[in-house]
Amino acid sequence: MNALRTLLLLVAAHVLVGCAAESIDACRGQLGGNLDAAMVDAESRLANGCGYEFDRYFGELLSIAEANPDRRNAQHFSEFLLRQTASGTISRRTAEGLYNRYFNIKFVSLQGDYNTCSQTCPVRARVLSTMQTELKDKELGLLRVSNDPASFYRADHLYKEAELVLEATCRACEAGNGR
Amino acid sequence: MNTPIRSTLLVLALVAVAATSAWAAPAAANSGPVVRLFPTNVLEDIRATTQVAEAMENSLQDIIRRMDMQQQLYTESLCEGADGDQGCERIARQIGATYLQMLEVMSDRLPQMEASVASTRDSLERRLREELGLRTTPTSLQDSLVGQSPAIAAESQPALRGRSGVRLSDRFKQYQELVTTGRNGQSQSLAVVASDIYLDMADASLLIAATRQEIARTALMEQLNQSFGVITPEMAKVVGGVKQILFGEVVGDGPIAAPPNAIGESDYVSPLAM
Repeated sequence: MNALRTLLLLVAAHVLVGCAAESIDACRGQLGGNLDAAMVDAESRLANGCGYEFDRYFGELLSIAEANPDRRNAQHFSEFLLRQTASGTISRRTAEGLYNRYFNIKFVSLQGDYNTCSQTCPVRARVLSTMQTELKDKELGLLRVSNDPASFYRADHLYKEAELVLEATCRACEAGNGR
Repeated sequence: MNTPIRSTLLVLALVAVAATSAWAAPAAANSGPVVRLFPTNVLEDIRATTQVAEAMENSLQDIIRRMDMQQQLYTESLCEGADGDQGCERIARQIGATYLQMLEVMSDRLPQMEASVASTRDSLERRLREELGLRTTPTSLQDSLVGQSPAIAAESQPALRGRSGVRLSDRFKQYQELVTTGRNGQSQSLAVVASDIYLDMADASLLIAATRQEIARTALMEQLNQSFGVITPEMAKVVGGVKQILFGEVVGDGPIAAPPNAIGESDYVSPLAM
């Protein structure tokens, strides 16, 4: 009787381990096909326990879209992110952050609820460095994925304007602090 | 860079900087969220600086033209290396005298210019600190930058910071365009214009102080040169540099970013967008 119980336990354990391994394998594979198919594939995996691979899937989707640039790709990504928000894979804030980082002219890096003197000026160099990195992501999202050079150049222009305005404003803030 | 060259170029750059402000100022008066960057006192300061700068520019331009003609005569007379030729020595002394006159004009005008520039810088500094530094968040600052200039054609881009070497009158025209486009609601952000002028004024203040220190020494050196009728390489370069700035022989850099095109109304707007 004991031997039978042990055997059953071993079989159950084997089945469980096998399923887990199969699940991990299912998560690990690369997304393929065109953007639509890859998004369907990614969503299917995300819905079946592969949520921890979200960042990688998103990166792969960008790569697939980069190979097939199209103005509508931004919309595809927006809808994909909204679905992931609705399914609970990512938060709304994460979805907004990702979308705006890659597909919006405005910079996620230049945000804040406090005044510029106190919030941005003390860390101006870091903010500009982060904006520079974000500009590269916008180059991918706006220029190479969405084939929208006008929007990318606007983002580039905005970065340079922000750099100039922050330099002047922060210098004025410092001058005020010194008095 | 040689001292006299640097002095001359700096002052002339200052003239250009100060003068350009005159056109930026009316553009700033075209309402919008950051209109308080250019209240009446700032506009008055800019106007006063412009008048001083224009007076200085006019005075210098005549002298520089004369110096240019003298230099041309010197070259065409094959005076370079012609030691002991009395005619060449006379021309050289004339050039030196004109050069001294230029330094004299600069010396006379600079104190007034210094005061005017400092006043403009200080009033802009206060407005920038209060309006953009203390009453604006990074988010609203970015919104104002994006909202002000959806599409600016390359031709209408004003020559702002770091664009010396353009004929001064052309710079005036560019700023006139800025005023015009501002009235049409397509102006560059006033925050950018104010920042640009402020940074230039701050630099100019430092340069004027440095220039004033150099003038006395340079004038003394040239007075010594007059005794020997020498045209120094420095003087020749000064003439070249002054011509470059006043008459625009070098084209400045292009706009800071390639001109964006207007985004079509049909473009997708994500509900995730900021």
